[in-house]
Amino acid sequence: MSIAGWQDALREVTGVAGVRGALIISAEDGLVIAETAMDDLATADVAALSAALVSRARRCTAALHATPPESVHLVGERGAVLAVAGPAPLWLVAVARDDAELGRLRLVLRDAAGALH
Amino acid sequence: MRVLEPWVADPLTEFLRESGARLALVMTSSGQVIAQDGFTRSLDVMSAAALGAGILATTQELATILEAPRGFGAIVHQGERQGIWLAGFDTPRGRWIGLVVFGHESSVGLVRLFFARFAQQVAAAAPVVTPVRDVLAEGFERELDDSLRALFGTR
Repeated sequence: MSIAGWQDALREVTGVAGVRGALIISAEDGLVIAETAMDDLATADVAALSAALVSRARRCTAALHATPPESVHLVGERGAVLAVAGPAPLWLVAVARDDAELGRLRLVLRDAAGALH
Repeated sequence: MRVLEPWVADPLTEFLRESGARLALVMTSSGQVIAQDGFTRSLDVMSAAALGAGILATTQELATILEAPRGFGAIVHQGERQGIWLAGFDTPRGRWIGLVVFGHESSVGLVRLFFARFAQQVAAAAPVVTPVRDVLAEGFERELDDSLRALFGTR
């Protein structure tokens, strides 16, 4: 997929109501590969913390002798972070408000992450 | 952890806890060590400080040549098992350098995030430097007399 293809995938995610931003991150180094987000969203920080979340989820499943996680869903008081695995080491991450359509967002993320390559 | 300036200890402890870094070294831009955590031999600390300061000075010169006067911000060496983060930051005591070694339990992104916070906390925690008073300031003779009277009890 080209950079333009990545941007299309990100736009698809941010098209879901209540999504503040979408990022493609490298889970190995916690850096942003591509992003589409509102100006006030600290995307570099989101990438670093999401990668840490994914890393811990992986260690957790490894300790449980389970398969590695393919998605991570973290819900807070004022919003949620959803991350879905793409081709290693890429993960597609969305930051959503608490009123976002999380069910639809999860489906869109899964489709878009599957199309990343 | 060993610290030369005690007010660096808390920010450094928080940085290490949050970032998951393995080793950290804080030094002046000339390579004088301010604080370290994780190094077990003083020789390693001194060598790392000198080499880190040298690398940053070299890249600063490279930045000048490339007409980027503010420098490159940070330098990252990513190895197979561990990486090195090297960056300068401004404090009230002058420009300092942080050298951080991190492994798979951390990442460049995490170190970048928490290093920025560490630099802010160090800058905020630095005690105000009392300006050195002029030895021959006005009133020096009177103050000297007062001191001598206080010491020897003469009037």
